[in-house]
Amino acid sequence: MDGEILIVEDNPDDEALVIRTLNKINVKNGIRVVRDGAEALEYLFRTGQYADRKSARPIVVLLDIKLPKVDGLEVLRRVRADKRTKTLPVVILTSSDEQEDKVRGYDLGCNSYVRKPVKFDEFAEAVKSLGLYWLLLNEPPPETA
Amino acid sequence: MEQNPNIVVIEDSRVQALRLKHLLEEQGSHVECVESAEAAFDLLNGRRADLVLVDYHLPGMKGDEFCRQIRMNVATRDIPVLMLTEDTGDGVEQMGLESGADAYISKAAETEMLLLRVNTLLKKSSTTTSFYAEGTRHFRMARLLIVDDSPTFLELLKLQLSEEGYDIETATDGKDALRLIGDRQFDCIVVDLVMPGMDGIELCQRLEKIRKSVVSPITVLMLTSRDSKEDMMRGLEAGADDFVVKSADSAVLKARVRALLRRKFLLEENQRIIAEFRAKEVELARVEGEKKAAEERAALSERLKQVNKELEAFCYSVSHDLRAPLRGMDGFSQALLEDYGDKLDETGRNYLWRVRKASQTMAVLIDDLLALSRVTRGEMQKMVVNLSEMARSVTENLQQTAPDRKVAFKIASDLTATGDERLLRAAFENLLGNAWKYTSKKKKAMIEVGTTNHDGKTAFFVRDNGAGFDMAYADKLFEPFTRLHSRSEFEGTGIGLATVQRIVHRHGGKVWADAAVGKGATLYFTL
Repeated sequence: MDGEILIVEDNPDDEALVIRTLNKINVKNGIRVVRDGAEALEYLFRTGQYADRKSARPIVVLLDIKLPKVDGLEVLRRVRADKRTKTLPVVILTSSDEQEDKVRGYDLGCNSYVRKPVKFDEFAEAVKSLGLYWLLLNEPPPETA
Repeated sequence: MEQNPNIVVIEDSRVQALRLKHLLEEQGSHVECVESAEAAFDLLNGRRADLVLVDYHLPGMKGDEFCRQIRMNVATRDIPVLMLTEDTGDGVEQMGLESGADAYISKAAETEMLLLRVNTLLKKSSTTTSFYAEGTRHFRMARLLIVDDSPTFLELLKLQLSEEGYDIETATDGKDALRLIGDRQFDCIVVDLVMPGMDGIELCQRLEKIRKSVVSPITVLMLTSRDSKEDMMRGLEAGADDFVVKSADSAVLKARVRALLRRKFLLEENQRIIAEFRAKEVELARVEGEKKAAEERAALSERLKQVNKELEAFCYSVSHDLRAPLRGMDGFSQALLEDYGDKLDETGRNYLWRVRKASQTMAVLIDDLLALSRVTRGEMQKMVVNLSEMARSVTENLQQTAPDRKVAFKIASDLTATGDERLLRAAFENLLGNAWKYTSKKKKAMIEVGTTNHDGKTAFFVRDNGAGFDMAYADKLFEPFTRLHSRSEFEGTGIGLATVQRIVHRHGGKVWADAAVGKGATLYFTL
C-alpha cells in the first residue's frame, strides 16, 4: 500500500515496541521515524533536511506528546493549521493519562489516542476509528498481540 | 460639596449686594445677603455656608473683626472668607488677611477676577474634610452667662457684651446660675465676686466640680468691685480663669471675654484634634491590619498557586517519565515471551512473567498515585448527581471484568447528591471496586448501596459481606499506601480509600467505616 506511517517518537524503546507491533500485525506500509517535533514538521512540510523529500504524504502519523524541541501538541496544532496537512490522520501516542492533554489534543484535532505500550487491540481500534483499517492491514490480525 | 454652594454675602450697600447675588446665582450658587456682621452671625448660627463674602467697611463690626470671630469658632474656622473693599490701600488688605480672611479683592476688580476667586475658594472648601458630625458643623454663637445680684448692672453688661455678637443669658444668684448651667452649655460664665447667698467664690468651686464632668471646657471670668490682690488670688484659686474690675472700661471686659473665648475654643480645638488624631490612629491601625492581612492572604494564595503548579509539573513528569522505563521492561519482556518463549524453559518464562507483573504493578501504582493527586487538584464543578445511576454504571463495569462472578447488587433508587460528578464517580469506583474485590472469595457475595441517617444528615454507604477487617486498624484505613490485607490475599496499592477520603473532604463531608473480620465492611460518607 502506498504511503508511509510516520512515527514521531524520541524514546528508542517505545519506537522499537511500536515497530514490533506494526510488524506483528503485518503492516506492509513503509515506516518512517523522526525523533522530535521540529524534525516532524520539517518532514511533513518538506523543509530543512526534508526539503527534497519525494515520498507522498504519510498515511497516518503516530505522534508522541512529550517531544524534544517542539512538543506533540504544537506539532498537531501546526498540522491542523496548514491546508496541506489539515486532513492528515493523527494518532497521539501517550504515556500520560492526563485529562488536560487529552482535552487539548482533541481540541487541536487529533483523531485518536493510543496509550503506550501500543497493544495490538488498542491500536487496531484506533486504526479502525480512523477508517484506515483496510489501508494498513493486509491480512486479518492475529489472535493476540 | 453640594451641587449648589451656599454663599453668604455681607454687604451694607444694597446695590453691591444685589450685583453680587445676581453674579453668583448665575454661577449656580445659593446666595443670601445680609447688611451687617452681626446679622451674618445670626444667619450662620445654625446654618452651614460654603463661602462668605464680606465687605471690609461695615456698620458696627468691621470685616476684619468678623473674620476673627469666624476663625475663633471650631465649626466655622474652615469656611473660606473673601474680603471685599473699595479701598485699595495696602493697609486694609493687610488687616483683612491678618484677621483670617482667605483672600482679598477690590470691588473695582473685574467680574472674572471675582468669580475666579470665588471658585478657587469653593474648591478649597470642598476639599476640607471635617470630623465633626453634620449636626455640629454650623457656626455657633458663643454663649455667655452673666451672674450678678444687681439687675441694673446685669443689663449694662448684657448690653455691652451683646455688641460682641454673643448669645447671652443672665442670672441674679448662684443657684439660678447653676440651674441654667445644668440645662445648657455655656462657653463663658461672667461671675460677680460679691453676691448674697452663694458668692462668686462658692459658685466657682461648684463650677470646678461640674467642669470635670463635662466634655466642653467652661471658662469663668470673675468680676469684682475692687482691685484687690487678695480677691484675685481667692478667685483664681477657686477656679476662675480671669479677673476684671467692674469699674474698668467696657473695652477691657470685652477684650478679656474675647481672650477667654479664644482660649476656650482653642481647648475645644485641641480636644477635637486629639479625638481626630485618635480616630485616625485607630483607622490607620485598622487599615494597616487589613492591608497586612490582605498581603498575607495574597502571599499565601500566590504560594499555594506556585505549589500547585509545581505539583502539577511533578505529576506530569511522574506520569510521563516514570512510566517510560516500565513500558520498556514490560514491553520487551512481553516481546521475549512471545517471540522467544519457545527457547526458554518453564522457569525462564516464569521469571519473565514476574518481570512483567512487577512492572505492571508499578504502573498501576503510578496510575493510582496520579488519580489521588488529581482528586485534590482541578476545579470542582458541582451539580446534582444521580448516585443510584452512577453506582449501577460502576457495578456494570465491574461485572464486565469478571462476567462469571455472581454478586447480588442492591442499589437504592433515587439517591441524589450535589457534587462534582467526576470525583464522585471516582469515589464510587474505589468503594465498589473494594467491595467487589473483598467479596471475591465469597460464595454468596452481596454488595449494597444506600443511605442512612447520621446526626440528622444523610450518610451514603457501600456495604459488602466480604473479608472485612479488624476495626482496631480502622484509623489506618484512609492512609495512602496502607493496606490491611496482604498482596497474596488481595491485590491493591492502598490508595483507593485515601482517594475516597480526599474526595469526600473536598465536598466538605466525612467518611468512616464499620467492619468485622470475615463479616464484611460498610463504608459511610456524607457530602
